[in-house]
Amino acid sequence: MTETLYTMIRNRAHRAVRRAPLAEIAHEYAHLGLSPIERMTRRFEMLCREEIPVILDAGEKILFVRTVPNLPDIFTEEEWAERHRDHFIHENGYVSNLSPDYATVIAKGLDAVRAETDCPETRRAIDALCNLSDRYRDYARENGREDAAAVLDVVPHYPARTFREALQFLRILHFGIWLEGSYHNTLGRFDKYMYPYYAHDTENGMTEDEALDLVCDFFLACNKDSDLYTGVQQGDNGQSLVLGGTDADGREVYSDLSRLCLRASEKLNMIDPKINLRVNRNTPLSVYEEGSRLTAVGLGFPQYSNDDVVIPGLEKLGYAHEDAADYAVAACWEYIIPRVGADIANIGALNFPGVVDTALHHSLKNAETFDEFMADVRRAIGEACDAIIASVDRADVLFTPHPLLNILFGCDISKGAKYNNFGIHGTGVAIAADSLAVLRDHVFGDKTISKEAILAACDNDFMGQEELLAFVRSECPKMGQDNDSVDEIACDLLHTFSLALRGKTNCRGGIWRAGTGSAMFYLWHADALGASPDGRRRGEPFGTNYSPALHTRTDGPISLIRSFTKPDLTETVNGGPLTLEFHASVFRDPDNIPKLANLVRYFVSRGGHQLQLNTVSKETLLDAQAHPENYPHLIVRIWGWSAYFVELDKPYQDHVIARQEYSL
Amino acid sequence: MFNVTQSVTGTIFDVKEFTVHDGPGVRTTVFFKGCPLTCIWCHNPEGMDTAPTLMVRNTQCTGCGLCCRPCTHADCRPFGRCLHICPKGLVKVAGRAVGAGELVTKLSAGAELYGAGGGGVTLSGGEPLLQPEFARAVARGLHENGIHTALQTSGFAKADTFASVLDTVDYVLFDLKLAHEDDHRRYTGVSCVPIHKNLAHLRESGKPFVLRIPLIPGITDTDENLTALSALAGDDPVELMPYNPYAGAKYPTVGKVFRYELPEETEERSPETLAKLFRRARVLR
Repeated sequence: MTETLYTMIRNRAHRAVRRAPLAEIAHEYAHLGLSPIERMTRRFEMLCREEIPVILDAGEKILFVRTVPNLPDIFTEEEWAERHRDHFIHENGYVSNLSPDYATVIAKGLDAVRAETDCPETRRAIDALCNLSDRYRDYARENGREDAAAVLDVVPHYPARTFREALQFLRILHFGIWLEGSYHNTLGRFDKYMYPYYAHDTENGMTEDEALDLVCDFFLACNKDSDLYTGVQQGDNGQSLVLGGTDADGREVYSDLSRLCLRASEKLNMIDPKINLRVNRNTPLSVYEEGSRLTAVGLGFPQYSNDDVVIPGLEKLGYAHEDAADYAVAACWEYIIPRVGADIANIGALNFPGVVDTALHHSLKNAETFDEFMADVRRAIGEACDAIIASVDRADVLFTPHPLLNILFGCDISKGAKYNNFGIHGTGVAIAADSLAVLRDHVFGDKTISKEAILAACDNDFMGQEELLAFVRSECPKMGQDNDSVDEIACDLLHTFSLALRGKTNCRGGIWRAGTGSAMFYLWHADALGASPDGRRRGEPFGTNYSPALHTRTDGPISLIRSFTKPDLTETVNGGPLTLEFHASVFRDPDNIPKLANLVRYFVSRGGHQLQLNTVSKETLLDAQAHPENYPHLIVRIWGWSAYFVELDKPYQDHVIARQEYSL
Repeated sequence: MFNVTQSVTGTIFDVKEFTVHDGPGVRTTVFFKGCPLTCIWCHNPEGMDTAPTLMVRNTQCTGCGLCCRPCTHADCRPFGRCLHICPKGLVKVAGRAVGAGELVTKLSAGAELYGAGGGGVTLSGGEPLLQPEFARAVARGLHENGIHTALQTSGFAKADTFASVLDTVDYVLFDLKLAHEDDHRRYTGVSCVPIHKNLAHLRESGKPFVLRIPLIPGITDTDENLTALSALAGDDPVELMPYNPYAGAKYPTVGKVFRYELPEETEERSPETLAKLFRRARVLR
């Protein structure tokens, strides 16, 4: 990776190579009466033709950069409306958020894959991609880049032999599936499937510096087009990558290559790829220390996943051991299985504070005891889950076909795979638990708050009831303070959530998974809800994912970890991390790295499933909001991904700032 | 587990977990209320008085006036403010009475974590030696639970008080501020003679310790003072603590005036240069 190339990508100067947006094509496709698969194939062929080979820098080792800025839709608005009417269309209707099997294709080469397939559209898609690659090769050769041309002589046609060839192949495949129109499909267990190539080259004399340089070049490539790969906000682009963990036989995957990846990410200091680190009870402290050094950079990753919770949790849901052990992390935190998983991990979200609100308005008046009221809450959770299921299962789930993406799953992935499970996030569990604790202790318990008063307070946003507000908001116990009396309610809520989905099947023959994630629902759900009995005012967002209420004051991360590891998290392995926020000053001293490493290991030993660590200072964020021009590179973690702070909409910025209130 | 037969209580104003600058390993620091010193650069003004201190986080105050209306709560009476009405939770009292047993139980929750990384609990403040009986009870309780306990102190106490608390802790973070008596009295309000006596006792005791020097531009952070402190420190380990520009942040919240002013021209010295003034020093960052 050369300094020139790095500076160019960091300053977004390379975007100058992009051409004007392509015109709309859907009406023509509709007029011709083309089938969905024909449209996908035709568009992909067109896009590959329209792409212009570019070499950004004489030292650029991993080629392929997008020059076409947009993918014209294949359906007209009317056609989409029709599809929505007759089917359940998930998000954009294209396959997303899965973990493709790059390894098999990289080991075979596209020519062999082409020969094996009996799908003519897949052959056409492979031809289009190979043609683009051949043009890149010729362009490289004409421009004196024999090194790059020699790599493209081999890949993607033939099996990769070297680390560089494998990385270039991976880049082409990842580039290709985005260009085909699927999105947020991840990079998966990179250190596992790349290791053979790395080991081969290392044995043949590749130095550590050379390997690091290649990894940096590949990681940098992930930042070239990422602004085109958007989700809900800039940065939400699904380029997550998993390191470490074990294989099906329990052997450790973490290797020198994993270590190089952490170093490359630290060196790059950019938002992609987003690193997930799988750990377990046998993970040595040194691995946590290596992860912590990356945390100290302030990128908001690595995000940790605990094999000791996730693997048994997935097995409980019916995943075979070898598949559960191979889990990867989807765009944010959802656990997915490479190659064999076609799970839709983010198909809906249960609004825990919303459920409490429902019970409050329907059953509080008549409930004589808290146990009675809690039974109504549990019933309301069941009903909310059933409503989510019914809203999805009213029709079949329909995706557009992806002839190219299919080769990375060995099947028509739009139709599903071995696992076709649906995941539901669970937002605001802490606020729900805090609210229920107030009701238990003071409405049913010492009766210092009347039922009418708490109902009126929630409906009127505590107007005129300031003393009640101050009491419930600032003086009652909260989840995150290591207080069993609140935490046990959260345990109950999560367990109830998981039970409510147990035994239910979905329209694709899969099951339903409960999670602790929030995605953007921490804002959306909160917007739709009045004030809560815990003193959360109307319109105030929830914490992101599996985190305390924003107004919760805690003594620090030990209390937070203890509170949030009390529930049996094997029951909520759709994923969703606890987020700890650290003031940047904590990491100025390298002596503090082992301290953080111990803290993370503590989380894992206590049965936490997933952990995100942020380092940022509130002063910096406020200044960045006021003077965005001074902070083009300031990175923050949002809900499952890292982004450039100044590129976020204000509500998301404000939430990151508000979270600093419990910064440690 | 710990069992306090005698019900010793004390006053603390905060507990903070994962305090990375208060001793070895992962630590939780408990802040004792009240300090005999009045260092003008102190960044914990709510810890100075032994009596509970009203704290109002003015920066977020919307001026709604609710807390100024008369109320009937007994605990609000001393402060002339209602503590139980602020919609944003900005009106608080620093300083609460807590039993040693209760505090030990709470602090022991992280025992497994402390043990893993050579960490533990740090008694800080304020000045823990102002509540010696409480400090001893807490330290003994933690010790019984196998938790490493550190004392962070100004060293200003009667010799027997210092010795009795020292006996109960595993490690000491001993502050040194100004080498000369006149300067010490002027900027901290007390004599440094008892501090130097207690330092001598600390050295004789064989307890592991570190000397901690706050680098206050224009006051402690002068070549003359640091050279004198270096002579005093000798071969003992030293931690130099750079000045925190937000040190004055909490003064308005407790109705006090931060009297320290950063000199306009401060001498920028690298950590390496600073450390070289001492035989065994590191600069905390």
